Amino acid sequence: MTVLLEMKERLKLIYSKGEPFLLPLVKFLLAFVTFNTLNGRMGYMTQLDNVAVVLIAALTCSFLPTGAMVFFATIFSLAHMYALSLEVALVGVCVYLVMYLLFFRFSPKDSLVVIITPLLCALKIPYVVPVVVGLLCGPMSAVSVGCGVVVYYVIEVIVNNASNVKTMEDGEIVAKIRILIEAIMGNKAMLVVVVSFAVTILVVYFIRRLSIDYSWTIAMIAGVMTNVVVLLIGDLLYDINISVGGALLGSLLALVVAKVVEFFRFCVDYSRVEKVQFEDDEYYYYVKAVPKMSVSMSTKTVKKINTQQSRAGGRAGAARHTGRLNQSAGAGDRNMMDREGANRIVQEERSGQGRNMSGGRNTMDRSRSNMAGRNVRRTSGYVQNRSNVTIGSTVRQDTMENVTEDVSEDYEDFY
Amino acid sequence: MLNEERVILMTRMASYEAGEGKENVKIGNYFRTDYIAIQVLKSIVCGVLAFAILFGLYILYHFEEFMQDLYKLDDLIAFAQDVMFYFIGTVVGYGVIAYLACSWRYAKAKRSLKCYYHNLKKLNSLYNEMQ
Repeated sequence: MTVLLEMKERLKLIYSKGEPFLLPLVKFLLAFVTFNTLNGRMGYMTQLDNVAVVLIAALTCSFLPTGAMVFFATIFSLAHMYALSLEVALVGVCVYLVMYLLFFRFSPKDSLVVIITPLLCALKIPYVVPVVVGLLCGPMSAVSVGCGVVVYYVIEVIVNNASNVKTMEDGEIVAKIRILIEAIMGNKAMLVVVVSFAVTILVVYFIRRLSIDYSWTIAMIAGVMTNVVVLLIGDLLYDINISVGGALLGSLLALVVAKVVEFFRFCVDYSRVEKVQFEDDEYYYYVKAVPKMSVSMSTKTVKKINTQQSRAGGRAGAARHTGRLNQSAGAGDRNMMDREGANRIVQEERSGQGRNMSGGRNTMDRSRSNMAGRNVRRTSGYVQNRSNVTIGSTVRQDTMENVTEDVSEDYEDFY
Repeated sequence: MLNEERVILMTRMASYEAGEGKENVKIGNYFRTDYIAIQVLKSIVCGVLAFAILFGLYILYHFEEFMQDLYKLDDLIAFAQDVMFYFIGTVVGYGVIAYLACSWRYAKAKRSLKCYYHNLKKLNSLYNEMQ
């Protein structure tokens, strides 16, 4: 568990460091996958089914709010519908407008859920959505998930009926609309999935908020079971041919993903629960405090990097080396790297020369995270001949590798 | 002179104002009845528009039958009554749902703002202490 917690801390650290770049990158990837999936499923408008267009749209989404992704996805799907038939586009616009007017305005900030739900449905792993949304969002998010499911099934209906629509003549406007509306309204699978996901989200949400131990775990298991049961009941009632094996496997995957989410979001230690009771003038308080699981972070300090005496002619070599270094470095103090603002001092000392080669060099601080403290004495092959690197007691090995790399790069400048 | 506690409090409050609190502060500027009334009105407008769209689709779907029955006055009146019944049911039902949702949202925002205002008072008292 400690290893996992350390890994979590490291991941959090990486995220906090790279958030300005990681967030747009994730948005870009999500948008790219979404638009590509849409093109793959529909692809009736050949101009849009182009990597360059998808890339431009995804790049635009990467620096805009997530609502822009919904907007672009809507435009993409409507354009494909229009390329198929004007009537199909009309039905699509109507469905989207009704969803926006009636449902989506209740939870406008759930645009990510609206994007991810149809995407995961298309990737055949939809059962992850209600459990994770129930754990992370509120009950109103059931509406957004419902909208996502409807979007997926509407697109499916259009794709399935595309050949029929294409064979019809241009004048058969009403017939085309009729086919689509019949297919959408008669899609019982959509209804069953919307209901099962909504019920699952509510079950997960209300159980995880209960003041009981392991509420998150109980919530996710109850949610998964509810989902399967509602799907099976729907299957019995409407004969929608839901794959039981697929539902069970998907539910297992949902459990795994939910456990991962729990680890990152709600990692608490129930063995150290404290229950206290106190009162003031107006109330009695019954407080249950559950401590979070965490590992303390030790600080890393690179104390100094000493030069190593050469075996033969070391002094002469070191003198030559120092001379060149001083020539380049001037006073001997150089900023090697200070990438994070928090400085670590790497002192390079010339043993045998009695001279401080670079009195206080500010090196990098690539990571504030800490691993189990250990003495690291590690030099790259190049540096080994010239400098003896001594690091403080709690330096991470990978950090040290970076330090030595930078030292060697720095040395290469001089030789 | 810098007061550490005050800086921490101000940072926390600024973070709240920039994030979750933005929407809550907006909601908190209204009285409960005003906020709910505006939201319900908006919902009714949305409900009417959505009903109009759905009705249009329904007419397109039953276009042929509709055109055949267009000149039968009794059928037309019965149809109009049905439409009105569904229209009122949809709009009122949606308005009630919007009322419940907005009440819940307002209560939630107020709860959240209570903590914010408490911090505001605390900050004020810290300033007074300094003086």
